[in-house]
Amino acid sequence: MATDVVALNEPVLRWSARARNIPDVEKELSRIWAKQDFTTEIDGEPGRHVAARTNVMNLVVVARRPEIAERGAATIQALTGLHPSRTIVVQSADPDGPSWLDARIEAHCVLPREDAPETCAETIHLICGGEAGRHLQALVTPLIIHDLPVIVWWPGEPPFTSQATKDLFTAADRLVIDGSTWNGDGMTRLAEMATCADTTGISVSDFAMIRQSRWREAIASIFDDPDFLPFLRSVRRISVTYGTHDEAGAPGSTNLVKPVYHVAWLASRLGMHVVKPLTVASHTSAAHPKSKGGGGNRQPMARGMTATLSHGSTEVAVVIRPVLSELPSGTTLRVELLCDRRGSELRADVTAEAESVHVRVWLDGVEALERHFLAARRGDVDLLAEAIEASRHDRVSDGTLKMASKLVGEGSNGARA
Amino acid sequence: MAGTKAPTKAPTKEPTQVETSPDLPIPAQPAPRPKDAPRTMRQLRESRESRSKRPSRARPAENVLREGLRLERVPDPAILALFGATGDLCQRKVIPALYHLWRTNLLPHEFVLLAVGRRDYDDDSFRAEVKKSLEEFSRVLPLDEAAWRSFKERIRYQRCDFEDPTGFDKLATTLDDLDEKEGTRGNRLFYLATQPSLFAEIVGQLGRVGLDHERHDGGWRRVVIEKPFGYDLDSAKKLNREVGKVFREAQVYRIDHYLGKETVRNLLVFRFGNGIFEPLWNRRYVDHVQVTVAESIGIEGRGQFYEETGAVRDVIQNHLLQLVSLVAMEPPATFEADALRDEKVKVLRAIGTHPADPLDDVVRGQYGRGWVGGEQVPGYREEPEVDRESETETFVAARLLIDDWRWSGVPFYVRTGKRLPKRSTEIAIQFREVPHHLFRETSAEPGANLLAIRIQPDEGIMLRFGAKVPGLGLDVRSVTMDFTYGSAFSVDSPDAYETLILDALQGDASLFTRADEVEEAWSLVDPFIDAWANGPAPDFPNYDAGTWGPEAADELIAREGRRWRRI
Repeated sequence: MATDVVALNEPVLRWSARARNIPDVEKELSRIWAKQDFTTEIDGEPGRHVAARTNVMNLVVVARRPEIAERGAATIQALTGLHPSRTIVVQSADPDGPSWLDARIEAHCVLPREDAPETCAETIHLICGGEAGRHLQALVTPLIIHDLPVIVWWPGEPPFTSQATKDLFTAADRLVIDGSTWNGDGMTRLAEMATCADTTGISVSDFAMIRQSRWREAIASIFDDPDFLPFLRSVRRISVTYGTHDEAGAPGSTNLVKPVYHVAWLASRLGMHVVKPLTVASHTSAAHPKSKGGGGNRQPMARGMTATLSHGSTEVAVVIRPVLSELPSGTTLRVELLCDRRGSELRADVTAEAESVHVRVWLDGVEALERHFLAARRGDVDLLAEAIEASRHDRVSDGTLKMASKLVGEGSNGARA
Repeated sequence: MAGTKAPTKAPTKEPTQVETSPDLPIPAQPAPRPKDAPRTMRQLRESRESRSKRPSRARPAENVLREGLRLERVPDPAILALFGATGDLCQRKVIPALYHLWRTNLLPHEFVLLAVGRRDYDDDSFRAEVKKSLEEFSRVLPLDEAAWRSFKERIRYQRCDFEDPTGFDKLATTLDDLDEKEGTRGNRLFYLATQPSLFAEIVGQLGRVGLDHERHDGGWRRVVIEKPFGYDLDSAKKLNREVGKVFREAQVYRIDHYLGKETVRNLLVFRFGNGIFEPLWNRRYVDHVQVTVAESIGIEGRGQFYEETGAVRDVIQNHLLQLVSLVAMEPPATFEADALRDEKVKVLRAIGTHPADPLDDVVRGQYGRGWVGGEQVPGYREEPEVDRESETETFVAARLLIDDWRWSGVPFYVRTGKRLPKRSTEIAIQFREVPHHLFRETSAEPGANLLAIRIQPDEGIMLRFGAKVPGLGLDVRSVTMDFTYGSAFSVDSPDAYETLILDALQGDASLFTRADEVEEAWSLVDPFIDAWANGPAPDFPNYDAGTWGPEAADELIAREGRRWRRI
């Protein structure tokens, strides 16, 4: 057992061991805490401080590649103080070879304050060869601490339709993913995820959705104004502009998860229904924007996708359109709302930069509001922290995901022309 | 549709006479009703049905987009006019809190801190002073240079002699100019952190120049008033009257920073967010409650202030009674400001129906020279600016009874003092002994269960219960189940001032005290002060620095067979 002096809030490796099978992993886990010696005074008497080892959840990281596993483990270690958890990092290797298991068990400790006991949590790195790596639930279940929530963080693209994945999700409470990293437009996978969440009962936290919280704050702030609030029930058009690297903005070339979430959030919060799911907007030769540079031979920029929602008896037009941008592909650049109430028109325009979100509102063509919100883009540690802090039933996230799935058209294959 | 009938219209004929059997007594006449009122169940149902088809009166509208977001709402663009900005409290607490709110993007982008003080500064020299203070008192160091650069641009300084009316005329002009330039839209939070004797004057001047008027186009005006709010019941009433002449109660935010502390707020969650504790939270299971607010420091160079204040006014009247209220209150119907404060006021009134006897139920003390934390410290009367014959109390212990259904007969022992052995604020719920001692023969009979809520330091909750010592015998020992905020979350809790300032900017008064609450609290402690003033001179000093107060405090609790918790 290492006896390093722990620096404040810096995770320090205090234990490391290896094992070749799950029962040996369990034995090592017992040994860690039997050997730790954390003492403190209780009412003037020396006593054992049971708070030293703290776990508030089980966190399962499914990493298909070693570098993802390392990055995931590093992110989680940074959270040891904030969300101490038993972390199980599962990584498969040589899927066609014989079954084998290599486990590394570690304990990291954080000293939150000089006068406080250390907070320690375990990380179990499992590298599984052959068929063993395909039975995730069988690997993970014996190692989870009972009665604590199980959160699965799956960087990359989970195979939502596979039975092994569904088995793992059935035994878990929450899935953390990043839909904005998926290949293509991500629409098919989004629909699959919604179906999988529905059948397994797992809640989903998507980094793509969490990143948008600064947008949501800004959009919601418009309707904090009692003069504008009535317009919330009179939305007639929702338009989201996203950045693409594809000069033609061709359908399927850019991940659309984030723009779709914007629409889905608004639609679900406002109780709208999908009348016509997203389809590729048809070109009209007249007034489409030219691509950057305006070269005569270049293919014109696609017009994006359109959908129709209903709000009571009123139809709401949805447009998701691309523009060339150097920002990461699929990044939202602008959200526009058009509301029409008793002959009065409210137009809201929300844009974001690295450190802030900018809101402008016009009432009957006259600028009525302009605000900046300071809100920086967030990194993986912050996103993961927020994802795992979400309550078991996050109505906003669940509602948004369901609505996104309807917008995409459940069961669609991405070719929604 | 087959098998169903079209709804028939309810009979409209007025019943002329009640038909009764001659053998039965004549029923009582129904109460007179309007002619068209439904009389039978069917009429009632049909009437309701037709009513439900009409559009109902709109409920107060809500912004449904706010659900699930970090804040209930982002504070509106606003100017925070900080009176007494050059004072110690502002430099140590208020301005660092504002800096942290700014750093974490919780203040609106259109925000101005207008520092108002008597000293000769300009914007730049005041900003330099603020930076020095932040480098000393910010809870996160080193300073975030980028955040500081943007924050300092939001700071302005205005010199103002608070007794000079022209200063307030200039202030009104400055505020209007800032609204124009910075887009703060007429929203103003006046934060009074000056000497208490100036509160009424400042509020009066604000009213004179019309700075209290909320504008039709949406500009709100609020005033935050620091403690102490008055120095006795009469002065508190007078100050409430003066403030009430200018501001409506809904515009007034009386601050008690204890209410902004994370653990104090958690007390409400602990009590009303868990199902297992509330059923035990009453006279059937609780033997007594101890509330301790202990400080190891002395008066820290504030001799003149403390001479006029003392422990009763400094701690008991506000912090300590607030803690008692939160422990003893009934669950509010909602988590809204007035629902919460109504319940707290009821507790204070229930204490008032059976007030503590100042001579029998209250002990006062003053520290003499002693040792604290390995250092010899002077006695209170040896401190600078303190009368060598001072009769100011630096320690108070009291036994309070809450005369209501829940707590009748359960004593609440409270104590506070300076130069005690350690700094600790704690609420201890001592449960009753088990009714039958099954393990009497064991070497150590476990004590009664105890729940200790630590407010500071080492914030957390500890539950003590009995457990069998491993082995062949049947030894039973008390063990503790300990939750510490630091270990469970390891996240910096916001400072109480950050919480409270943000709440005031958002218009949430839940954690601020209301006029009636302040007055009730004064009415409880005024008799202590009166009795001491009318009695003989106390035999001070009566406890050594570094001890837990005078012996009489131990006797106060010992006479009912109890003892203070060793903290």
